[in-house]
Amino acid sequence: MSLIASNLRLKPDAEYHLNDVCFEMSKGEIYTIIGRTLAGKTTLLKTIAGLIAPESGSLTLDGRDFGRIPVWKREVAMVYQQFINYPHLSVYENVAFPLKQRRMPAGELNDRVMKALAQVGLDGFENRKIQALSGGQQQRVALARSLVKEANIVLLDEPLVNLDYKLREQLREEFKNIFSAKASENSILIYSSTDPVEAMQLGGQILVMDEGRILQQASAKEVYENPSSTKVSQITNDPAMNLFEGTVADGKIILNAEIQFDLPQHCQALPHGAYVFGLRAAAISLAEGGFPFTVELSEISGSETFLHLKHEHVQVVGLLDSVQNFNIGETVTAQFDTAHLYAFATDGRLKSSPYGGLK
Amino acid sequence: MGYFYTTLKYLAVTLWSVFVIAPFLWAISTSFKDFQSVTNGATYIPWVDFEPTLEGWRALWKSPAQGGVDIVEPFFNSVFVTCAGSLISIILGTLAAYALSRFTFKAGPIRNGDITFFFISQRIMPPVVLAIPFFIMLGKFSLLDTLLGLILVYIVLLMPIAVWIMVDFFNKVPREIDETALIDGCNPYQAFYKVVLPNSIPGIIVAGMFCMIFGWTDFFFSFILTFTAVQLLPVAIVALNSSITPWWSLSAAALVSVAPLILVAFIVERFLSKGNLSGALK
Amino acid sequence: MNFKHKYMFLLPGLLVLLGILIFPIGFTVRLSLSSWDSFYPALDFIGLENYVRLFTDDARFWEAFGRLSLLSLTTVFLQYVIGFALALMVWKDIVFQRFFRVLFLIPMMTTPVIMTVIWRTFFHESLGPVNDILSHFEMTPLWLSSEVLSKFTVILVEVWQWTPFMFLLLLAGLLSLPKEPFLAASIDGAGPIRTFVYVTFPLMAPISIGAIIIRLIEASKIMDTVYVLTSGGPGTATETSSFYIFIKGLREFQFGYSAALSLTYLIIMIISFTIIAKILVKLMVRGN
Repeated sequence: MSLIASNLRLKPDAEYHLNDVCFEMSKGEIYTIIGRTLAGKTTLLKTIAGLIAPESGSLTLDGRDFGRIPVWKREVAMVYQQFINYPHLSVYENVAFPLKQRRMPAGELNDRVMKALAQVGLDGFENRKIQALSGGQQQRVALARSLVKEANIVLLDEPLVNLDYKLREQLREEFKNIFSAKASENSILIYSSTDPVEAMQLGGQILVMDEGRILQQASAKEVYENPSSTKVSQITNDPAMNLFEGTVADGKIILNAEIQFDLPQHCQALPHGAYVFGLRAAAISLAEGGFPFTVELSEISGSETFLHLKHEHVQVVGLLDSVQNFNIGETVTAQFDTAHLYAFATDGRLKSSPYGGLK
Repeated sequence: MGYFYTTLKYLAVTLWSVFVIAPFLWAISTSFKDFQSVTNGATYIPWVDFEPTLEGWRALWKSPAQGGVDIVEPFFNSVFVTCAGSLISIILGTLAAYALSRFTFKAGPIRNGDITFFFISQRIMPPVVLAIPFFIMLGKFSLLDTLLGLILVYIVLLMPIAVWIMVDFFNKVPREIDETALIDGCNPYQAFYKVVLPNSIPGIIVAGMFCMIFGWTDFFFSFILTFTAVQLLPVAIVALNSSITPWWSLSAAALVSVAPLILVAFIVERFLSKGNLSGALK
Repeated sequence: MNFKHKYMFLLPGLLVLLGILIFPIGFTVRLSLSSWDSFYPALDFIGLENYVRLFTDDARFWEAFGRLSLLSLTTVFLQYVIGFALALMVWKDIVFQRFFRVLFLIPMMTTPVIMTVIWRTFFHESLGPVNDILSHFEMTPLWLSSEVLSKFTVILVEVWQWTPFMFLLLLAGLLSLPKEPFLAASIDGAGPIRTFVYVTFPLMAPISIGAIIIRLIEASKIMDTVYVLTSGGPGTATETSSFYIFIKGLREFQFGYSAALSLTYLIIMIISFTIIAKILVKLMVRGN
């Protein structure tokens, strides 16, 4: 079974936009759509569900034109970020709702409902009222309801974003387990998120989305190692990848008068000219003999420190794996791990990556 | 806080309560009077100022021929027209309100907001403006002086109220619930009555109450559009306002007409305290 | 979300309303362009003559408008202030809370005409209790037949009748306010007056606007009270726009002219309310 979208388009207005969205998805896989807020992720999910009709372009499932099928006949399931359940029904009735709609016989219905509740860890909650549940429990009910249908396509729109940190981690693990079990079945799972870490953790394929467009569709590993453009590198890294302008000349990379270094291996064959270079925060470290930078800001986060450094037009953020204190305005010397340097053309496209070499 | 504010509060509340009750007390007292007690100057307390009689009350179900002022039939006419008008208005109004809340309409330059405005603007028109045209129109269809004719007119009066309240209410029910119902296999009609409607009961009750109140208390339309065959309660009572007004039966009739909605007052207060009304009225 | 089904939801109500209304409105427009009255009962066509007349030759109409504005603005203002005060008082700890709440709701549940009939007997200048009590103080005000006092009596009856409406909306609003701002205020040591001015009132602004507009719309139609209490009198002291239209139409049977009056009135009202709504919103927003 495959879901193919080609050139889905929706006129930009206050809420919605899709610009020539194309992708191909097959059954048994998890797809994570990652993008910033308002990138169009929810719009895309709703279009797949059938709640929004694209102005042009097509969506086909196994060759059938999905666009002609109304929402209630598409076999999809959706979980929202706002814990959506039917307030007037109990937990059991909530989960049973889609099956009752299909007029499933009572015995089979009951089995499926109980199985779904067990999968999300809510045995014994059948008769509870929705309002009496905590956020995490409500979201589990929504999840159970989406599982019980055994739909072709399961859509999850940032389902964990409204939960607290610990709960998010816990549920993410459970999600993975539930869905890798499902993944071997006949469904496509589409999960949207703004958090690159979450995307990487889920594994599966990643679709990077921005301003209504799909910028890159590849495996998590591929997106990490070879982001196709500067935009992608910004979206898929947290903290965002450092970008700075520079030129390639005479076997060196020149950022400004003080900061120059030899061309790393994978950039040797780059033609001379101006580029935008990228370096992850973890690839910047403090060391003697490095380049001089002024400390603009230092943020302690957990057991790491984010150090914001500036030298003329070069502004970077470094990630130090210990807690250290700095004064604003202090001068430090920082070193770049050029083996992990990315080179992008001035229009943003990837030219050379540490993992894939020249493009 | 202090005693000052508290005493002030109780004083004010008591004063207003007296103001509210005054006409009722007067009506109760008057309903037990007769011609003598009324025309000899104002009298107040039964047995002290005057001899109470039940004439005023008995007259309420005696026909005019027997010297009475029969309000039994008008009373039930009012009940029927108010209930029928309210019911139809709520059904049609709620459906329309749901459409205006959830879907987008576009007919040339006309959008949702304009359609809602059209519904609500019906309330701006004073009855007088519509009375003559309605008079002529109902005349053409032989609906003057009929219950059906009145019900049709009441729909125009009450549907805007239902639409007004329900649009607001539906806007507060998250769309995502409708969407989930659709995804779960409901077509839009099923999504409405299986999921949205059960969660809108408070709003419907509020709309229902306001419809009942404005329906029961209408005077003008029933005044203009009915004569003898059909009379509604307010008209029947005001008709008593002639040169020799029988104050006693007038007061008794007035008290009877007020009674049903006092029940509604209790229901409204119940709702207020339970917090349902506040959500519906915002 | 846009499905074909949406029409099935909207159209029944819309079509019924349009159906019942279309004739009256269309007819009124047509009437306004004719000179139908009891002498010449015919649907002739006189163009905009009626409109010209009402703009140039009919001071009484505009006076009625003035009176209407005075009466409705005064009553709505009073209803708002009193209604708000009452709502605040029964909002929290008070003895017999339920009793008072129900009691304060009752006047609006009564039929205005009927209560006005009672008020008429109440304020009856020779046989009513008010003057009876006051006569002991050598005062017998002419509640219903003095120019100034008749307005007062109308306002009083209106306030009695409709303050509960404001009271209901405002109390519902108060009951739905979040607790946090009040907790914060009391921690900051604010007394009842400060709390009201800086917390309660601003939070109630949107509901206040809605209530005032709804009430103004209803108040402008004031008819029952005037009809029963004073019949627009004495003279024209309490004659409001709708009463004037009523006289012209159903007393003097000048159908054509009263149709023109009705439409002009309607348009002025719609424009006025749109403006008033916008002003109120700006006022409340700025006050915050």
